[in-house]
Parts: sequence; structure tokens; C-alpha cells
Amino acid sequence: MGIALQLLFTGLGIGSIYALVALGFVLIYRATNVVNFAQGDFAMLGAFSMVVLCIDLEFPYWLGILITVVAMLVFGALFNLAVYYPLRNRGFQPVIISTIGASILLENGVLAAYGPRPQALPSFFSFQGFSVGPIFFDSQYLVILGVTVVMVTLQYLFFERTLLGKKMQATSQDKEMASLLGIPVALMIMLTFIYSSALGGLAGILVAPILFVSVGMGSSIALKAFAASIIGGFGDVTGAIVGGLALGVVETFGSAYISVPYKDAFAFIVLVVFLLFRPQGLFGEKVAEKA
Amino acid sequence: MIGCRIVLAGMLAMLTCFGRAAEPLKIGMVAPVTGALAESGRYQIQGAKLAVEEINKAGGMLGRPIELVIEDNQTTNPGSVLAFSKLAGDKDIPGFIGPIYSTQVHAMAPDIERTGRPVMIGATDPRLTHMGNPWLFRCRPNDTYSARVIADYGVNTLGKKKWAIVHSTDAFGTSGMKNLVEVLKGTGVEPVLIQGYTNNSQDFTPVALAVKQSGADVMSTYMTFSPDQGIFAKQLRQLGVNIAWVGSPTTVATTALKLAGPALYGSYAVSDFATDSSPAAKEFATKYEATYKSAPDFLGAWTYDAVHVLALAIENAKSLEPQKIREAILSVKGYAGAEGTYNFDQNGDGLRGYNIVKNDNGEIVFIKHIDFSE
Repeated sequence: MGIALQLLFTGLGIGSIYALVALGFVLIYRATNVVNFAQGDFAMLGAFSMVVLCIDLEFPYWLGILITVVAMLVFGALFNLAVYYPLRNRGFQPVIISTIGASILLENGVLAAYGPRPQALPSFFSFQGFSVGPIFFDSQYLVILGVTVVMVTLQYLFFERTLLGKKMQATSQDKEMASLLGIPVALMIMLTFIYSSALGGLAGILVAPILFVSVGMGSSIALKAFAASIIGGFGDVTGAIVGGLALGVVETFGSAYISVPYKDAFAFIVLVVFLLFRPQGLFGEKVAEKA
Repeated sequence: MIGCRIVLAGMLAMLTCFGRAAEPLKIGMVAPVTGALAESGRYQIQGAKLAVEEINKAGGMLGRPIELVIEDNQTTNPGSVLAFSKLAGDKDIPGFIGPIYSTQVHAMAPDIERTGRPVMIGATDPRLTHMGNPWLFRCRPNDTYSARVIADYGVNTLGKKKWAIVHSTDAFGTSGMKNLVEVLKGTGVEPVLIQGYTNNSQDFTPVALAVKQSGADVMSTYMTFSPDQGIFAKQLRQLGVNIAWVGSPTTVATTALKLAGPALYGSYAVSDFATDSSPAAKEFATKYEATYKSAPDFLGAWTYDAVHVLALAIENAKSLEPQKIREAILSVKGYAGAEGTYNFDQNGDGLRGYNIVKNDNGEIVFIKHIDFSE
């Protein structure tokens, strides 16, 4: 029992990271109908920014996090202008290729600038965590879970309760209609990129003390997050969160009770099962509606 | 400033003149400059460059300066094959420095055999030099020796009988595990747990729990990637597992030490390189630290030796003909390198010994060197 609870805790922690990155995927997809393959690299950038600020420049953590989040907001705007905006009327494929290109550029850019050595970012707190019976609660995992809950709540309130949030929702549902209603569509899309970028950066900040900071860290998370968003129902916010958490739990339990080497396979077996039997995902709309 | 530039330009011009007088001899190197193991590539390239500098200062090879031509393998098998064929296309390269990762050398092996020029490797899967490929020369001890040293130290010195083995499922980890199981069987020990995992795992909780539940009193690890080693060590300690640990060389790789910090304190490791193991190792360590301002590990040490051994062989062969270089490498005996004393056998294995080292609060302390004669 103790072991199962330990696994559940770790699984939810890892799952929260998938969920945060998946959320970024989903928001951009809803706004632009395009998958942003550089979403994982946003997390990598956030993590590297923390290393530069808090280790190399020895800033306190709170300042490092603040500067990183602000920098990621600016980066999101630039990303929108450079990667999406010029190709926005060219359809699906050019934009996807453009985001893949951006991903390669970012990874190799950071590699060239910072070098290949993975960095360790100390945990946010000096204490590592605490044990309750046989279960160890890692302080960093607790932070991740907490931040995910807060972010999801804030996001819900923003999209459902504020005018700006509703405008962004309207844009993602029907761009033509939204522009007829006087909503500045291009601006709304830019805001989506800005928010997704900050969200990705935040995921990177949170995961840095656990996974270590390396150039490839983003793409390995993004692959799982992508699977999570499909399982949840691509384009659905609740789905991304539930999908992410479920994936984290499934692969942790699968590797503990069935096979460790096949850990990654469990995530993708679940994905294949969903694609076969429920392609719209847990919470997704019917494919027909989308067309 | 302008004066400076003129002097620089003058030096460049002189260099070009010099180059014309004695055309540099090229040595190819396949290394991970990008990709998951780029950080190990940096150390390996640094080691190789240090050797090249020394050789050039001492008058070069066959009277010609040598030049290292590096091709990136992107830390992948296809990348390694591509990088090697690119280098092999240059007929002026008499020999190569290959990768340290067994999987990558396996991928390149058929092309190496076809090319028919010597490749110095750091990969430790024993099969590589026992599959009839005459062009692979190993500058590190292979894993049959690491397994013997791990088992000997754990069973005889530490007196532990309940073994857990954690290994990566790649070629290095699997062959290491198999060798260790074999050697342990010889001492009458059956491991209580053999646990594989895939490289780049983000979470090792299930592995750490399996070790905890197995009731083992000693653990050995064959882990390929330093970040994996770091995450595993941390999670293991968090779950309260503090059993004796005798790990593969990655356990004392510079990056793993830095990432894991206190989580690896108290662990033992076999390491082909230890600063205090010999005067040659000490000399290399001093030079390496002076040049790169960071502590050396086996990654830099083996390429340093590989370049020196290759250069020595070419010098002895007095020829660039592959067959003659091959014979010259195989007759290298008693060469004191940073990794140990090289005595090549007919399979192309240069070293047969490992050091046991202990991580004493972050300091790597040399305990003893165990050499096998056959």
C-alpha cells in the first residue's frame, strides 16, 4: 500500500509537468489550429534561464523566477512574430515546419551558447522533503503539484470570467466570427503565444531541480505531453490536464508493476489505444465538429 | 589593436608557409558534439586535443604535425555511421578515434571493416574485439574486467552476498550486467534483483523501490548517462536506501558527481582512470587541469591515450599503410598511459585492469588498482 501511494505521488508529480506542457500545446492549437513543436523547448529555455540567473549570476530564486517568467512572456511575443505570424495565411504545414525549425534552432542555439554540460539547479527549498510512513514527499514534487493546481484554477477563472479571456476563447472557436465582432484576432493569437510561452517556461523552472537542465530536456517532456494532449482530447484544456496526470500515473505504475524498460511504451500504448478506439480523446469534441 | 592584428596576420602567414613545408597528417575522430551525450564529447575532444598538442610540440608524427578532424555523430547510431563514412572518404586519414559508446561502435563496425583502417575505441562491450573485426583497438579495459573487479571488491573486500544489479538496457548496460552475473555465479552468488531501465528516464522511483524491496545489501550499477545516474542516486537516497554501492565508471564521471552531489557520497566505483593510480595518470591530470581548468575523468583520459598510442604505432611502423599500423599497434607493450599500462593482445585489447575508487564526500579517493594478466 505504501508503495502504491509513493508511486501515485511521483506519478502525479511527473504527470503535472506533462500537463503544464500539454496545456501550452492545446492553447496554441485552439488559437491557431497548429501544433507548436517548440513547446517543449520553451520549458528548456525557462530552465536554462534559471541556471544563468540563479547559478551563474547568483540571483535569489524569487528574482530568478520573476525575470524568467517576464523574459518568457517577451519571448512568446517574439516567437509569435517570427515563427507564426509571417506564415499565418499559408495553412497548416508551413507553420508546423516552421515550429519544428524553431525547435531545432533553439536547442542548438542554447547548445552553442551554453555548451553541452547538463546543469543541476538546487531544489527551491533547503529541505528535500519529508517522510510520512513509507512515503517520501519530495518538496519539489509538492511545489509542482501546487503550482499546477494554482495555474489551472487561474486559467479557468481567466478564460471563463474575464472579457479578455472570453475574447481569446472566441478567437480560438471561430476566427472569422471573432473578427466580425471586432475582436483583434492577431492580438489574441499573440496573447495566446505569450501565455503558452510563460506556461512552458514555468514548467521548465519547476522541473529543473528534478531532471537537471540540458538542451534535450524539453523534447523528451514534449513528446509525452503531446501524447497526453491527444489522450485528453486535442484542443481541450481539461483534457490536457487529465491526460497529463493520467499518463504520469500510468507510466509510473506500469514500470513498477510490469516492466521498467517498457516504461515509455506504456505511455504510447495508451496513446495508440485511444487513437484506435476514441480518437477524440477523453474530453474532445467529435471529429466531425472540427471539420 | 591594429598592431596586434598585423602580428596575428603575420603569424597566420607563417603558419600557412609552415603548413606547405610539412603537410599535416590528419587523424579522424567521431565524437558526440551535439545530442544527448554532447557533454561527454567535449571531454573526449579535450583529451584528444591535449595529446595532439603534445605530439606536435615534440615534432609531430613521422616528422609531420598532426591535425584532428572531428565529425559529430549527434550521439546517435546513424549519426556515427554517417560521421565515420564521411571521414573514411578522406584517403589521407591513416587512423581514427571512435566513440566510447558500445552501441555506436557496433553500428559502425561493418563500415570499419570495409574501410580497413585502424579505429581506436573506448567502448567496453567485450564482444567488440571478439567478433573478428581486425580494425578495432580498445584503449580502455573491457567490461569482463570491470565485472570481475566489482564482484571481487563487493564479495571479498566488503563481504556482501545479496546483490542488486541496476543496468541500462543498451549494449553497454546489458553486457555489463551479463558479465557481472556470470562472474558472481563463479563466486556462488545469485543476484536478488536484476533491474533494467531505458536511457533518459525522467523518474527512477520504480527502480529505487525495487532495490529497496529486494532486501539487497550491495548494489552494482551499469548506467550509461550521467543525468540518469544523478536522478537515480537522488531518488534512491530519498527512499532511504543506503546500501553499499559499487558502480560502473559513470558513477565517478565528472558530470554525475556534479549532478548527484551528496547522493553519491560513500559509493564505490570501478574506474579505468584514477589520478593517483600511476605517475602517468598524475602527469595527465596535471596537464589537463592546467589546460581546461576542470578535473579530468576517464572520458578525457582514454582519448588522450588513444591519440598517443596511434601516433606511437604510426611512428614505429614508419608507414601509413593500414596493415603495418595495425601490426605496430598490436606490438605496443608496456606503454604507460593515463589509463594504465598498455599491452595489446591479438584481439586489440590494450588494457586489462581497473581501479577501485571511493567517493569520499565528493573527493574521489583511489583505493587500489587490480590488473589481470590474461
